Amino acid sequence: MGNSVSKALGKLFGSREMKILMLGLDNAGKTTILYKLKLNKIKTSAPTVGFNVETVSYKNVKFNMWDVGGQERLRPLWRHYFPATTALIFVIDSHDKDRLNEAKEELYSIISEKEMENVVLLVWANKQDLKGALKPQEVSDFLQLGNNLKNQLWCVVGSNALTGQGLVEGLSWISNNTAKK
Amino acid sequence: MSHGIYLTDAPVRRPQTNGNPLLRKIQRACRMSLSEPDLALNLDVADYINEKQGASSRDAVITIARLINTRDTHTAVFALALLDVLVKNCGYPVHLQISRKEFLNELVKRFPEHPPMRYSKVQRLVLTAIEEWYQTICKHATYKEDMGFIRDMHRLLKYKGYVFPKIDDSELSVLRPNNSLKSASEIQKEQEIAQAAKLEELIRRGKPEDLKEANKLMKIMAGFKEDNLVQAKQAIVHELNKLKRKADLLNEMLNSTEGLQNETVEELYGSLKSAQPKFQKIIEEEQDEDTELVQDLLKFNDNVNQILEKYRLLKDGNTAAASQINPAAMSSAIQDSHTGALANELNLIDFDDDMGSEPSAPVSTNNATTSAAASADPLADLLGDLGDMNISTPSNQLSFGQGGDISLGSSQPAKPVLNTDPSSLSTQNDAFDLLDGFDTASPSASKTSQRVLVNQSSNLKLDFELTKTSNSSVDVKVIFSNLSSNTVNDLTFLLAAPKTMTLKLLPQSGNSMNALVSDGITQTAKIENATLDGAKPLKLKWKVTYTVNNSPVEETAVFTLPKV
Repeated sequence: MGNSVSKALGKLFGSREMKILMLGLDNAGKTTILYKLKLNKIKTSAPTVGFNVETVSYKNVKFNMWDVGGQERLRPLWRHYFPATTALIFVIDSHDKDRLNEAKEELYSIISEKEMENVVLLVWANKQDLKGALKPQEVSDFLQLGNNLKNQLWCVVGSNALTGQGLVEGLSWISNNTAKK
Repeated sequence: MSHGIYLTDAPVRRPQTNGNPLLRKIQRACRMSLSEPDLALNLDVADYINEKQGASSRDAVITIARLINTRDTHTAVFALALLDVLVKNCGYPVHLQISRKEFLNELVKRFPEHPPMRYSKVQRLVLTAIEEWYQTICKHATYKEDMGFIRDMHRLLKYKGYVFPKIDDSELSVLRPNNSLKSASEIQKEQEIAQAAKLEELIRRGKPEDLKEANKLMKIMAGFKEDNLVQAKQAIVHELNKLKRKADLLNEMLNSTEGLQNETVEELYGSLKSAQPKFQKIIEEEQDEDTELVQDLLKFNDNVNQILEKYRLLKDGNTAAASQINPAAMSSAIQDSHTGALANELNLIDFDDDMGSEPSAPVSTNNATTSAAASADPLADLLGDLGDMNISTPSNQLSFGQGGDISLGSSQPAKPVLNTDPSSLSTQNDAFDLLDGFDTASPSASKTSQRVLVNQSSNLKLDFELTKTSNSSVDVKVIFSNLSSNTVNDLTFLLAAPKTMTLKLLPQSGNSMNALVSDGITQTAKIENATLDGAKPLKLKWKVTYTVNNSPVEETAVFTLPKV
């Protein structure tokens, strides 16, 4: 009851809340991004075993960001986090060219799930600061999202978790492209 | 807030929202036009949940709770019946959902603060359900610590003065854990389902302490902790020890003079036999990991094989030699006959071989296609010659060969179809003289089977072959024949028994039949805990679906089992 009242009030002031699921291969930089957004600090973290969840407010939108570990044995568990997700952020290490294909496969296996039919997809081509990293356009070409996603909104944004470049752009893209229900 | 799915007081008709197949299935199972809870529809929901997992159990339970609280008693009763089926068939994911505080509160929403003088039907059913859960999953389930709120609700209702109905023990036995040997991979599969359900529930709740637990659980699930493996191993060893005790016991009982008809023996035999395929699986899985366990298991398996063989010989000896032939001694001789049977074991078997031309070998060994009808004729032949034996033909659905019902010298004349060739008479009589020598051996009363026609449509004939395996259990062999001149494909068969009984469907022998094939598909169902000789006839609901000529066909009905 209280919940719905606050939701109604929120509507009045244009504030929203949404669940964002952040996935990607291990060592893509998900946790670093999360804490850069939350604390504006670089937190060196050990590989995530399990998940982190933080609330990030941007403009009037409250993003409940779920960052789930990307190691291989954790990937089968990703699907348990799918319910009620508004947007999926897939983080790619643009410098790790050997594993781009693996990342692509994982991404497609996620968005082909029934539960993820209606989410908007943001891809962060992370680690743009590294020399030899693929440009967002190149990552986008490689992923071929345009050919394969018919009904979903998607977007590839270059990012650098260390400086925070691209992160806010990504979030504002999500907030602009999710229906104001 | 706006237009979600909600139920009004109007009867549930075809839902306007056709998006969610689960809700559609639930509504179909609870619609008012049904005259009684439809087990097939309910099981359909259970299957769907088991297949989809994820949020399906939660959605189902929430929808059912709403239906229970509709003002229409009819729908509420159906919803409770459906819930019962889900609790019994979907395991932990549903148990977790019914133990949520929100659900339990919803369930008793229509309970007044002070108990009424007389409970409404729905209230009584709700109390029954809670009591049942309290007695079973709260006490026996592997993850009983998650069921705390059921216990709390039980206590609260009791405190408020509500009286719980007494639950039949047979009802409870369904939800008790059936301890059977499982291989490591199977145990892990179960764990996985349970843990996944738990994880999703924790994520959904999203309170800090839940998230902390979810993180912990995730580590276990991802295999960063060995808990799962260790647990699985322990469970195997535990079950194996139990089986060993059972094997010892059976061996002892076979050696002693006790009767084979003894239910304990049957039960022990059954549990050992059903465990055997698992040995193989465990051995395969553990081959490279735990040689000690494998060695142990191999030895035990040999042991079990010997015991089972012994049991079979005893049993065969009985049936082959004497089952329908010496009925007079049947009931009285059972107890002391087995020493004789044991001693004569080999002879009896030889004797059986001599009679090789007669396909009247123990009915239990008949395979799918030779039904009781086939085996009964030669028997009837044999017996008919001897004179007026009371053997009803299988077609009239009455028991033949049951217990002491067969008696010599009854008034019913031999059937005209019987072969009364005098020359065979003498030889047959000789056979009987031979048998007389073994009059210590008694027939096993429980091993006869009969075949009854259940349904016949233009495409499909459905027969049941009923074999009573003990006083309270019966094997139903379902036999399909294709009557059409087209191939029948995708045949699936569903069977439902009253919930007091345990029903086990073994895999189907196939799912397609060519044109005009008779007895093309068979499937065996084992019903335990059945009240066979009670006043109430055993009713089975069945449903068969198949495609013929590319069009799907569904046939369903309730079948009343004749006395076995």
